[in-house]
Amino acid sequence: MAEALILAVKIAIATMFVLNLAGLLTWAERRQSAFIQDRLGPNRASVFGIRLIGLLHPVADGIKMIMKEDFIPAGADRVVHTIAPFIALFPAFVAYAVIPFGDRLPIFGYDVNLVVSDINIGLLFVVAVMSIAIFGIFLGGWASNNKWSLLGALRSAAQMISYEVTLGLTIIGILMVYESVRLDEIVRAQGDLLFGFIPKWGIVTQPIGFLLFFAAAMAESKRTPFDLPEGESEIVAGYFLEYSGMKFGMFFMGEFAEIVVIAGIIASLFLGGWQIPWVTTEMLLKAFPGWLVALIQIGVFSAKVVALCWLQLTIRWTLPRFRYDQLMRLGWKMLLPISLANIFVTGLVILLLQ
Amino acid sequence: MSMKTSLTFWERLYFPEIFRGIAITSRHFFKNLSNPLKNPVTIRYPEQKRFIHPRWRGRHRLMERNDGSPRCVACMCCATVCPARCISIMPGEHSDPAIMKYPVSFEIDLTRCIFCGYCVEACPVDAIRMDSGIVSVVGYDRDQLQFNKDRLLAKTP
Amino acid sequence: MADLTKELHTECMTLQMGPSHPAMHGTVKMIVDIDGEEIHSVKPEVGYLHRGFEKMCENSTYHQVIPFTDRLNYVSPFINNVGYAMAVEKLLGIEVPERCKYLRVLACEISRISDHLTCLGASGMELAAFSVLLYSIEAREWMWELVEALSGARLTTTWARIGGVAYDMPDGFERKAREELEKVKRLVEDMRGLLEKNRIFYDRMRGTGVLEANDCLAYGVTGPCLRAAGVYYDVRKAKPYLVYDRLDFEVPLGKSGDNYDKFVVRVLEIYQSIRIIEQALEQIPAGPIAVDDPKITLPPKQEVYTSIGALVHHFNIIVKGIRPPKGEAYFAVEGGNGELGFYVVSDGSDKPWKCRCRGPCFPIVQAVPKMLEGAMVADVVPTFGMVNMIGGEMDR
Repeated sequence: MAEALILAVKIAIATMFVLNLAGLLTWAERRQSAFIQDRLGPNRASVFGIRLIGLLHPVADGIKMIMKEDFIPAGADRVVHTIAPFIALFPAFVAYAVIPFGDRLPIFGYDVNLVVSDINIGLLFVVAVMSIAIFGIFLGGWASNNKWSLLGALRSAAQMISYEVTLGLTIIGILMVYESVRLDEIVRAQGDLLFGFIPKWGIVTQPIGFLLFFAAAMAESKRTPFDLPEGESEIVAGYFLEYSGMKFGMFFMGEFAEIVVIAGIIASLFLGGWQIPWVTTEMLLKAFPGWLVALIQIGVFSAKVVALCWLQLTIRWTLPRFRYDQLMRLGWKMLLPISLANIFVTGLVILLLQ
Repeated sequence: MSMKTSLTFWERLYFPEIFRGIAITSRHFFKNLSNPLKNPVTIRYPEQKRFIHPRWRGRHRLMERNDGSPRCVACMCCATVCPARCISIMPGEHSDPAIMKYPVSFEIDLTRCIFCGYCVEACPVDAIRMDSGIVSVVGYDRDQLQFNKDRLLAKTP
Repeated sequence: MADLTKELHTECMTLQMGPSHPAMHGTVKMIVDIDGEEIHSVKPEVGYLHRGFEKMCENSTYHQVIPFTDRLNYVSPFINNVGYAMAVEKLLGIEVPERCKYLRVLACEISRISDHLTCLGASGMELAAFSVLLYSIEAREWMWELVEALSGARLTTTWARIGGVAYDMPDGFERKAREELEKVKRLVEDMRGLLEKNRIFYDRMRGTGVLEANDCLAYGVTGPCLRAAGVYYDVRKAKPYLVYDRLDFEVPLGKSGDNYDKFVVRVLEIYQSIRIIEQALEQIPAGPIAVDDPKITLPPKQEVYTSIGALVHHFNIIVKGIRPPKGEAYFAVEGGNGELGFYVVSDGSDKPWKCRCRGPCFPIVQAVPKMLEGAMVADVVPTFGMVNMIGGEMDR
């Protein structure tokens, strides 16, 4: 009974984490882009005159999207058109099931592992689930019966397939270094010190892998510079051109949820997850009670996730977009060989160090 | 004058230039974040108004004599010179022989006006001006943008 | 097992890009036949913004045409004003005073900067680098501050007059102009930093939208697009008007005529324009701002109020208008996008018998199919952005 309760609390925390952060990101993106561009951004939505620096805009947007007409164009495949946004949104939430928020801690007498589902193929699960999201986009674009949407769908399919490969191959480097596919073990291993003073984070052991993974993950989330499926100035809005109301909202949320997921994965794989450099869980447990340690670790993890989200948003507002053939060339001719070389070099170094 | 337009090896690596771009955008971001009320160029409109230059051609107004009658002598110069043909004046005989003519009605159709300022330039008696500083000429229907003599003299809103 | 030797039957898909498409600023339609992502053929369809400028001119006095010219290239209205005024002045055979010439140069270069900034920002935005657009709009805002201070309107300036200009520089304009130009320089530096050497941008622009020198000349392309192809033709240098022959500036030239060269040419031209403005501010002499001819320019207001002679001249010009002698004149200035010419025919009355505007955009848009031969769908956007079509000027 107690375990079911703990699990329910963990699920609630993970879901709320993604949902709220994604909602906040819709606000953050507008405000941050505004500040980048010397503007102020939306700050007018108010309840009884209280503006809260524009934080009510996501709420107002949500209400607006629910109230709007749900439009299905003539000639569209009604069933697929309806299912597509759901398929696009749900992987982001599922992926968070295996991302650890903290260490295994004694909290109020229970031994709690701060991850929703501690499965032994965690990392593979993330990659597998993330790749489902493209079906939503592909089906949505195809079912809309619109030429622009079709172009967007085709682009997204090609793009996802190309970048999945790099994504998978860069993970292999991490697997070789930390010798596990379980995300919580990978994070725990990053608490060690290299040469006695450098934290053994993924970014230190796999710097090239970090850059490759970041690039490929941004391509997965379909944001500038990889927003070809959307490409609002070229193919108008691409795959979600014919969506309105909450279905559009789900694509929209899915995009931001994916930012959060990518930030979570990168934080776990390359930035030590909930680890604080040079401070181990044992040291924390000696000084603080278990629940406080859990809060500290969740806080550290959240800080890393938020920082990575900020970085992703900044990149989105800095760079121009690739062209289709250039994207393919980058994926297959540059990132793929480099990621293969990365595996080779990692293996060589591991062999030499033994 | 010719220019060098090829990339060096370093620039071809994507990342150095991406970091430079991020540095530029972040510089703007943190500069504006450090003082959000002062640094961004946004004008928070209803509370804060933009500086209107003294030459700004805003909504017209008719000038008055000391006794409150319009200065206009209905010479039709403005109506003649108007490229949009939006001024219509009905002249009338004035009781004072020194003035001779006065506008019985003076209407400007602001839905047609292109705010070129020719009427002001053409007026020989300084009766019409565009220095009211009114930027927003708005109305819920076309009739609200037909400005008659009283409204131009700011006697009725 | 399918027969792989057989060729798969495919068809081109026709896309109607525009008239309301995010990249088709200024209402134009491109009918694009695509084969996958590759373009098979492009047909620009123009005329959505046709307002009958030339016909309107025939029914207006010479003076009344000036506000219409604001609405041609609405991003750089000063240049249109000046171009038209100078065509009529050529017809009248008059020379404007020195100070007026400098003022016109000043205004034209302010407009050129705002025109180029719009083009660069819009093309950045169309390649999804949105911040660049906002930086350029911010810089353009500083330029428009100057435009407003000078002419009393931001867009519809109506500032030039036949035989002079309407207003002189206001007090403190010189200092203000220098301050704003510093801000513009800083923002242009940021824009360059974000785009110029960025490989993503470079790859998108380099080698796309190529229009080589002989094609440019065949189509009648002028302006930055022609100079990007390496042809040294700038009306300001080729047939110096106003005081351009006295000012020290250079004409940036590209080599290959692709989008990247067009981009760099425009960026460098902004710097040259800033140089011209700085020189003009230094050299500007004191004096009248319009010719002193009672048949052409309105007398000063104070005289109209007080002297009867001035009042009569005033009435004469207003009622009878300017009546150039019978004849015709063509005068070209360097607009934001190229040679902007006005061809005015007079039959001796107060209205032009014909007023033809040779806008630079129209020939360039005709060359768009040539630029997009063998390109991809995504190339339409930067190519069209670098053409910098201004609907008001092309469709007239």
